[in-house]
This record gives sequence, C-alpha cells and structure tokens, in this order.
Amino acid sequence: MPTPFYPEFAESPDMKRLLLAGLALLLSCLMATAQDAPIQPLLQEHQAVIAKSSRKTIGPAIDAIATSGLPQAQVVLETWGAKSMWMRKSDGLFFIGKKADGKSYQLTDFDSGEVVGEFPKKELKQLKPNSGIRALIATALVQFQLNDPDRAKRQDALTSIQRDPEAAHLGPLRASIDNEPDSEFKAQKKRLERLLTISFDNDIQTRINAINEMSGDVGVDLRATLNPLVATTREVAVGQIPEDRNVAARLTPGTAALPRDEAYGLLVAKGFAPTQVTPDDIRTALATNITGGLVAGVPVAQLDTDAARARAYAALAKGGTVPPILSDAEIDAALAAHVFYDSYAEPSNHVTDAANDVLKSIELKVGANQALDLTLDALSLASIYFLAAIGLAITFGVMGVINMAHGEFIMMGAYTGYVVQQIIPDHTVSILVAIPLAFAVTFAAGVAMERLVIRWLYARPLETLLATFGISIALQQLAKNIFGTQARPLTSPEWLDGALVLNDVVSISYIRIAIFFLALIFLGVFLFIMKRTRLGLETRAVTQNPRMAASMGINPGRVNMLTFGLGSGIAGVAGVAIGLFAKVTSELGSDYIVQSFMTVVVGGVGNIWGTLAGATMIGFLQKGIEWLNPSNTLAAQTYMIVFIIIFIQFRPRGIIAIKGRAAGD
Amino acid sequence: MNFLKSTLAGSMVFAALAGSAMAAEDTIKVGVLHSLSGTMAISETTLKDTMLMLIDQQNAKGGLLGKQLEAVVVDPASDWPLFAEKARELLTVHDVDVIFGNWTSVSRKSVLPVIEELNGLLFYPVQYEGEESSKNVFYTGAAPNQQAIPATDYFLEELGVEKFALLGTDYVYPRTTNNILESYLKQKGIADADIFVNYTPFGHSDWSKIVADVVALGADGKKVGVISTINGDANIGFYKELAAAGISADDIPVVAFSVGEEELAGLDTSNLVGHLAAWNYFQSAESDVNAEFVKTWKATMGEERVTNDPMEAHYIGFNMWVNAATEAGGTEVDAVRAKMYGQEFPNLTGGTAVMLPNHHLAKPVLIGEIQADGQFDIISQTTEVPGDAWTDFLPESVVLMSDWKDLGCGMYNTETETCVQTLSNY
Repeated sequence: MPTPFYPEFAESPDMKRLLLAGLALLLSCLMATAQDAPIQPLLQEHQAVIAKSSRKTIGPAIDAIATSGLPQAQVVLETWGAKSMWMRKSDGLFFIGKKADGKSYQLTDFDSGEVVGEFPKKELKQLKPNSGIRALIATALVQFQLNDPDRAKRQDALTSIQRDPEAAHLGPLRASIDNEPDSEFKAQKKRLERLLTISFDNDIQTRINAINEMSGDVGVDLRATLNPLVATTREVAVGQIPEDRNVAARLTPGTAALPRDEAYGLLVAKGFAPTQVTPDDIRTALATNITGGLVAGVPVAQLDTDAARARAYAALAKGGTVPPILSDAEIDAALAAHVFYDSYAEPSNHVTDAANDVLKSIELKVGANQALDLTLDALSLASIYFLAAIGLAITFGVMGVINMAHGEFIMMGAYTGYVVQQIIPDHTVSILVAIPLAFAVTFAAGVAMERLVIRWLYARPLETLLATFGISIALQQLAKNIFGTQARPLTSPEWLDGALVLNDVVSISYIRIAIFFLALIFLGVFLFIMKRTRLGLETRAVTQNPRMAASMGINPGRVNMLTFGLGSGIAGVAGVAIGLFAKVTSELGSDYIVQSFMTVVVGGVGNIWGTLAGATMIGFLQKGIEWLNPSNTLAAQTYMIVFIIIFIQFRPRGIIAIKGRAAGD
Repeated sequence: MNFLKSTLAGSMVFAALAGSAMAAEDTIKVGVLHSLSGTMAISETTLKDTMLMLIDQQNAKGGLLGKQLEAVVVDPASDWPLFAEKARELLTVHDVDVIFGNWTSVSRKSVLPVIEELNGLLFYPVQYEGEESSKNVFYTGAAPNQQAIPATDYFLEELGVEKFALLGTDYVYPRTTNNILESYLKQKGIADADIFVNYTPFGHSDWSKIVADVVALGADGKKVGVISTINGDANIGFYKELAAAGISADDIPVVAFSVGEEELAGLDTSNLVGHLAAWNYFQSAESDVNAEFVKTWKATMGEERVTNDPMEAHYIGFNMWVNAATEAGGTEVDAVRAKMYGQEFPNLTGGTAVMLPNHHLAKPVLIGEIQADGQFDIISQTTEVPGDAWTDFLPESVVLMSDWKDLGCGMYNTETETCVQTLSNY
C-alpha cells in the first residue's frame, strides 16, 4: 500500500526493499561485532600461562580478559574462579565443564554457549586456580559485579575490594553507591569508599577529611589502611635531607634510637663509606701476609697483643696491601657528613600527620577493646571450668568422695550427645533431647557406681581414689571399644554457629555464650536443690552428721546415692556442652579432671560459691598469663599451676572456707 | 596332688613355649608399634590397621621368602617412654624382624636408643622435622624440604602472604620445624616482627585467644597466613574456633602439616573449605593404583573410612622392605638395609618413590584445599623431591649430610670431611 507521506518510495518498491536489506545487513554487522567476536582466541593467546596457573605469571592473562571489552569476559572469569573451566587436552581449548554421568564431563563453548559434547575426564584438565589467583580474578571482576543485579555478586565484589583494595576500584565504587538499592550494602560501600579514598585519592585535602571522618573506628581494615601510610624506612643522605622526603624523625648517630655502630653500618650498606676493619679481619690479613716469619717487619712471635697486631696491620696498610683501620675521628667525620632520618612511604606530611593522630586516638580504644575481649574469653573459660567442676562440687565438695571417674561422666555425656545426633538429624532438637538424656544416662551410671563401689568405701578416701581411678580407665577403654579412637563430631545447631561480633577486636562465639548461660542455669539449679528441696536438706544433714541424720529418720544410703547421681548427671550435661565446643574423644574427660579438682580445691571445698570463685580465678589467671606470654600457652598453664600451689600454701582451705560446725572438724 | 598339679602346669608351660618357638620359625614377624590409646590414637590406630591390611595382602600373595608374615601389635598408649619399652619388647621378646611404627617425633626419639642398641629396623611413616639420621630408621614420611619448605614457598609466592603465624603443639616436631621456618622466612626477607609463634599443649581446646591474636596481626595491612603444626585432636577445637570466628581461607589461609583426611573425619568441614594442607599424598589423587588402594581399604575397613599420607608412607615402606628382603634372601637387618638403597616403588599419586642413601624417599609434594566433603582438592603437585635429612636453612646443619650407603655416616660434616657421629643420640 502506497504511503502518502513518502510518495517516491511508494513509487519504487525495489528501492524500499534494497534499503531494508541494507539496514538489516548493517544491523547484523553491528550485532556480530558485539556478540560473535570470540573470546577463545584471546584465551589461546595466553594458553600456556592459564594452564600453568601460577599467581606470579597469571597477571597479564587476567588483565587481557578483563579489559577485552567482550561481553563473555565476565562469564569466563566467573567460571574460571569457580574452578569450572576445563581445558581439552587434544587442542588446548577452554570450555565450561559440567559433570555428566560417570567419569565424563559436558563441555560448553564460551562464545556460542552451545554444548560441545561429553568427554571422558582423562582427555580433559580442570583448571584449579589457587586462592591467590582467585583473588586476582575477583579483583578483575569487581568492575563487572559492582552494579550487578544479583546480590551475591555484589557481595563478591565488595569482599574482593575489602581484601585487595586497588586505586582502580575507587571510581567505579563511588559511581555505584547512589544506585545501590540495599541499605546494608550501601553502608558497606560507603565505608569502603572512605578507606579507598584514604589510600588512593589524588586530592590531599579529601584524603585528610576521610581520615578524620574515620577517627575512633576500631576496625582492623582502617588500621590496615592507615598503618602502611605511616610505615617508615630508615634512610641516609649526604649533607641535606632531600626536599621530596616526608620525614618522620631526624636521627642523631650515637643516641639510643640510632647507635653509632648501626649508623655507620647504614653508611656502609648504602655505599657511602668503606667497611670498618674488625679484629677478625686483622688476624686474617696478618696471617696471609707472613713473609719469612715477619709481618710487615714485625716478628710473628711478637704479635701476641692487640696493640702489636694493630701496629703491624698499620704498617701493612701503609704499604697499601690491606685497607686501613678507620680511626674514630674518621668515622665521626663520615657520620657528620651525612644525615640520618626515618622517612614515610607517603609523600604528604599532612596525610601522615592526620593518620598518626587518628591512629593514636584509636590505640587507646583498641587497647580497651582488647582488654574487654580478654575478659570475655576469661569469663567463657571460667564458665567452662565451672560447668566441668560443678558436678564434682557435689560429689567431692559436698560428699567428700574423691571421684577420679568424674571426667569419664563428662565424656559419657558428650558421647550421649553424639549418639542422639546420629538418631535425630535435626541439630537443635537433638541437643534438646541430648541434655536430659545425658543427665539420665550419667545419673544412672553414677547411681550404679555409688551402689556397687563407693558406698563400701565411704570412710576410706585412698581406696576410693584408687577404685574410681580404675573405673575411669575402664570407662575410657569401653568408650574406645564402642566408638573407636577417632574423634566424633558433635555439631552445634546452626543458630549457635558463628560469633557475636561487637567490632573487629571484640567477638565471642555463640557456643561459648551458650555455655556461659548453661553454667549460670546450673548454678541456679544447684542452689535450688541444695537450699529449697528436701533432697538438699537431707544431703546437707547427711554430710554434716550421718548418724544424727539417720536417727532423725533420714536414710543416709538413699540420700548418698541420689546426691552422687545428681553430681554425675550434671557432669553428663556439662559433657554435651564441652563436646559442642571442643571434641568428643575418649580422652575428653581426662583433659578436664585436673582443672575440675583444681577449681573445687582452690575455691574451697564444700561451697558452691567457692567453686564459682575458683573457676573465675583460674579462668582469669589463665588468660592473664596467656596475655603476658602469648607465644607459649603450655607455659601459661604451668605458671598457673605454680601460682595455685603457692596460693594453697597461704589459703589451704581455698578462697571461700567453710567455718563452724559445717566444716566438719 | 599339688605336686602333680604343678608338674602338669609346668609341662604345659613348656609345651606352650616350645609351640611358640616352633611357630616363630614358620613365620616372619613384623612389629607394629602404634598407639591404640591416648591422645595420638586418633591418628595412629589407622596405621596399625593399614599394616595389618598390607600384611594380609602380602600373605595372600604367598608371604615372603616362602614364609607367612605375622603381625605383632603392641600398644604404647601415646606414652613416650613406653614406646622405648615396647620397642625393646618387640625386639627381644617377640624377635621381630622389622618394626613399622611411631607417629610423634618425641616417641621416635624415645625409640632410637633401643633400636640402635639392638640393631633393629624401624620404618617411620610420618612427616617430621629432619635434623636426624639413624642407621636403623628408614624415614618414609616427608622431611622439611618435602613439606614445610614447599608449603611456605607456596604461601610466599602464590598467596602473597607477608606475615606468618606459626602455631604448633609443644613438642620436638613443631619446635624444630618452626625454627627451620623462622630461619627460612628471615632469609626470604620477612622481618622478625612479622613472625608470630605460639605453642599449645597436646589436646588443647581453648583457642579463642589465639585465634583473636592471629586476626589482630592483620592490623598493619599485611596479608596474614597461618602455618599449623598442631597435632592430634587439638586440631578439632582449633578449626571449630576458626570457623566460629568467621575466618575465611581467602582472608587468613591456614596450611596444616599434620591434618589429613583422617583428622577431618571428626569435623564438620563446611566452614573450613579452602584451608590448606601439604602432604605427599591425598586420597583424591587420581591414579589407578590409588583407586585400587582406596577400594581395598574401604572394603577392609568400611565405606566411611579414608586414606591418608602416612598410610601411603607405610604402603611404600612395607613394599620396599618386602622387595629388599626378597633380594637379600633373608630378613637379617644389615643385609636388608644394604638392599634398601635405590629401591624403587610406584607411589600412589603416580610416579616412583626412590629410597636414597640418607634413608629418605624422593616423593612429590602436593598441596590441597579442604573441600566440603572432607577430601582435599589437589591444586599443586611438584615432581619428586629428594628428602634432605639435614636442612639447608639452619646454619649449624647446612654443612651436614647423611649417607649410609657409601660414607656409612648419618652426620657427615662436608666442610671438615669427617663423620661427626654415627649414633643418633643428639
């Protein structure tokens, strides 16, 4: 149908067809350049380097892919980083590999996106970039991923900037902040932008502003950004300090900061002065220059004093055969002719001043936070010791039974937790089931042990010790026979994974917090049972005076049995908690038995508050010594035991000693 | 009546003794000296099982020199002095012809005087700190230059680590290895302040402070890496704390020298993906012999069991011993030792292990990343590296070498060209 507005076209339909064809051709050409330019030739250009996969040589290949401008570049890099890129051995071409059935893999072409076919694994090589190369790939991917609609990819980009900040990231990062829909990411991006600004912005004032804005932040990343700016190198120059240097401090040779020898050594190292001759050099020089029993005219026999050797050496030096000894005056002159200084890597002194100020203000805050972190660690350790010892506080503290098998009750509890987890796969439910079950199992074991062994030995502590020690070894062996010697996993529920992070310095894992609260709950349970229940009353009565209690109608045998069972049951629950944060092995109990006895004895036998105080003291002491001596944790434990031995000398009854009739003597 | 009883008992004891003596002539006894209880049982029990499997296989093939092999298993219970007692028992009471055993270096040190006194033969299958060469020990595990040094190079070159935390259990292997590594790192230009060292007791479980210390190392903007020589079940607590602190392997990589497939079996590895281990063997190595070995192991021990590096060391060591004894025509220690030098046996990762005159093997070095399934993804494999008894990175041992074949000396000073000593009581 003719178009009234363009009559000439209407009149020549051939022309119209021609034009359309031309347009179509043009369009397809354009599309071809955008889509059909293959990335494979580029990969092949760097084939050897990519296949070799070493961080030292891979740089150019990654850069070439990232800057190629090809739309496939992102896919290639992502595939490669995810270890999904495969090479066909026959022709060295790279593909996306996906596991097919059996031992073969399905290859997909990067350019066409079409499946090439399935190949057996033997004909292929999987590229496994190590974490160094993956970091480089991630850095190259940042430019593609910063604005990616996929949240996970944006997260990848931010993590990568955080790990390896680069000047090139600053521009794209700034540009991406405004369009960031996610508020959490936006905050993260802003923070990273500030950090990158400090390191890489061209304008000094902008950098200083950024530094001051971040003041008071205790993040490790901020310190990691600022510290390289104020890192110094010791330098030396002839006459004057060069203009372009940002000097941290000028040093005078012969002071504590720069001893004279060190200063001269620096001059020698930089080639500004000759090496000083040492006594050893003199001896070798003399020995090599002996001619007919004489050294420079001095008989060898006379060279038995330093002065004589110096004289002979001076004579040699005059002859020009050896370098002369430098006199003090010469060294002083050399030192005076040079200036020594510490120079910042960062050229602008305004930036370094600002960075130093901020670092100083952070320092105190970091110190306080570290102290807080240490306190939390100590509290956590104290709660673990308390939990391990609370059962013992009943059996040993209240009843006076030296139960060496206490640790094995802890182990039994942990293994109960493991077994429950095998039956109930849901970790939360399994822990909820495991805690009462562990109590029941170890309560039963405790009652059995009391009935069969301990009740015959109540008046004989040494025999009790030996008997329970034997039981402890037997129980360990039993556990080995049943569960094997391998550590068994007791996995905490997912909501207890991870840590409560206050900032980069202070953090504590949730599992430790949970143990802390469990310890508090058990303190409450203990107090309730002892002070508020009939069993508690009877227990106290029986332990203070069994005969009197018996004549008041209490059955001491029954009470002892139940009390011992209770102590053992609590140990079992402690075992579940300890297994969650450490390991479940047959030796689990023996790791805690010494600490448990120590806790009860140091705290004061027979008093739950004493056990609490003992656990707190040991926990804090351990962490305090670890802080003083961070390189040897074993030594820390040794010092602690020495300290406790001394402590017991002065307070033999422990921190909280029972007085009066309850003390029993 | 009593007289009759005691005579009867006496003659029965005599008969039993005679019987055992006769049995001894029919079999060749192989001592297995691995802890089956105590803190090292987690690692060593597997090696006992490996030895039993290897001996069974050999017996199925017709034994050795026409005789059946008989395993004599004792349990030194992770008690270092007890290792010496048990070694003496194996050599004097049971009259074994060879011992396969030990894991920790401290236990090996305790056994050394006994086997040197009694001229026994010990195959030691675990990576160790070097600085030792005994005439009576074949070290089939890695020397530092076959594990620690390549792993440190990998940290320096491939991961760009600038600051090192050397964490170890407090005994001879971690301490010597860390000494070597400190000296090596300083030669590579790492400053003193950039090396953090910590030692913890066996079975340590409270790792929060140490992990926090390691994180704090990153405050000066340098990349931090951890080299772990933590041994035994203490590893479980360490990795759990790492995971809880949310430390990713890309932030702070950890390379472990004593953590293999077996140790990871006790752990939920999903949070540890990407952390590293350096060994001469991983179960994931792709070769036909390895596939066969893993299959036999799983068939013997159960589908969930895994193989690891010291198992391969025993596999190579045992087979080399069998071949050497066959060549020597007997199991007499000196004759077997002479035939051991130059023994070749295909290792499980593809390639060939060779026994060197310094009693070490030439083996490839592998670095693997932990995967979610508890296996390792091998990301780097070298060609065979000859084991070096005396490290080149400590000033006092750079001049020393070991050559039992030609020089007959395990501690030979190459500068003065003299043998320092032949016993390894240093």
